[in-house]
Amino acid sequence: MTETELIELLKQRDRTAFKTIVETWQSMVYNTALGILQNEEDAEDVTQETFIQVFESVSSFKGESKFSTWLYRITVSKAMDHIRRKKRKKRFAFIQSLYGKNDEAVIDPPDFFHPGASMENKENAAVLFKAMQQLPSNQKTAFALNKVEGLSYIEISEVMKLSESAVDALLHRAKENLRKILKEYYTTFNENER
Amino acid sequence: MKDEFIHKKIDAAMHSIDKIEKASPRPFLFTRLEARMQNEKNAWTKISSFVSRPIVAFACICLVIFINAMVILFSNNTRNTTNSVTQNGPELATADEYSQVSATLYEFENSKP
Repeated sequence: MTETELIELLKQRDRTAFKTIVETWQSMVYNTALGILQNEEDAEDVTQETFIQVFESVSSFKGESKFSTWLYRITVSKAMDHIRRKKRKKRFAFIQSLYGKNDEAVIDPPDFFHPGASMENKENAAVLFKAMQQLPSNQKTAFALNKVEGLSYIEISEVMKLSESAVDALLHRAKENLRKILKEYYTTFNENER
Repeated sequence: MKDEFIHKKIDAAMHSIDKIEKASPRPFLFTRLEARMQNEKNAWTKISSFVSRPIVAFACICLVIFINAMVILFSNNTRNTTNSVTQNGPELATADEYSQVSATLYEFENSKP
C-alpha cells in the first residue's frame, strides 16, 4: 500500500491504516522526540501525543509537503510543548517548596545516556546531550534533527519552515555555543580532577 | 598541554553522536496508544453524557431563570430606593435646617403667638 493510500484510509478513520502508519513511523517520531527531550518516558509520551494529533488532524494534511515532514513538524511542536509544560511544573514545585507546601526537592534530571550511542562514546555523548540542554530551543531542535535524525539542511529547513541559509546559521551558532559550554565544562572538570 | 587536552575532549564530545544508532520505543506502542485514545475518548463521553442528562439540563435551565429573575428584582429594588431618596431627601433637610419640626408638646400647643 502506498503512502497516499494509507493517508486516504486514515482520513476515513481506518484502524489498520492507522496501525500501519504508527508502526512505520514510530521509530522516526520516537528518536526525534528523544533527541530533543533526552528522556525515554517523555519521548514515548510525546510519540503517543504526536500520533493522536495525526489521527485527529489528518484531514488538514493536503499533501503540500511530504508526510514525514508533516510528522516531524508535529513531533517538534509537541516536544516543545512538553518542555514548556515541564518547566512550568518545575517552577510551580519550586514556589510550593518555598511556602513549605511541597517537601519534595526540585531535582535536576540525571545525565542522559542515549541507548544508541556506542560504548566508547557513551560518556562523551552524555556530556554533549547535557550541553545541548543549555541551547536555545530552535538551535537545539536544528542540532538534534541534524545529528540524531541525520536530516539534511534542506529537510531541516522544510520541517522548521526556515530558509536553508537560516538553518546553516542556526547550526553554526549551535555548534559554537556547544563548544563554549563544553570548554567551560572540561576546564572545571580538569581543575577538580587535580 | 592543558588546552590541547581540553580541545581533544571537546572534539570527541562533538563527534560522539555522529554515528549514533536509532533507539527503539518499548514494544506494543500501538496497543498503549489505542488504550490512551480510548481513555481520552471515555472522559469526553462521560462529560457529554452527564451534561445531556434531562435532570442536569432542567437544573441548568432553572438556574438560568433564577439568576435572571434575581437580576430583574434586584435592579427594580435599587431603582425604587434611589427614587424615594431623591424625592424625600431635600424636604427633610430643609425642615431640619430651619427647625420647622415641633420638638416638644409646649411648642406644639403654642405654635402661634
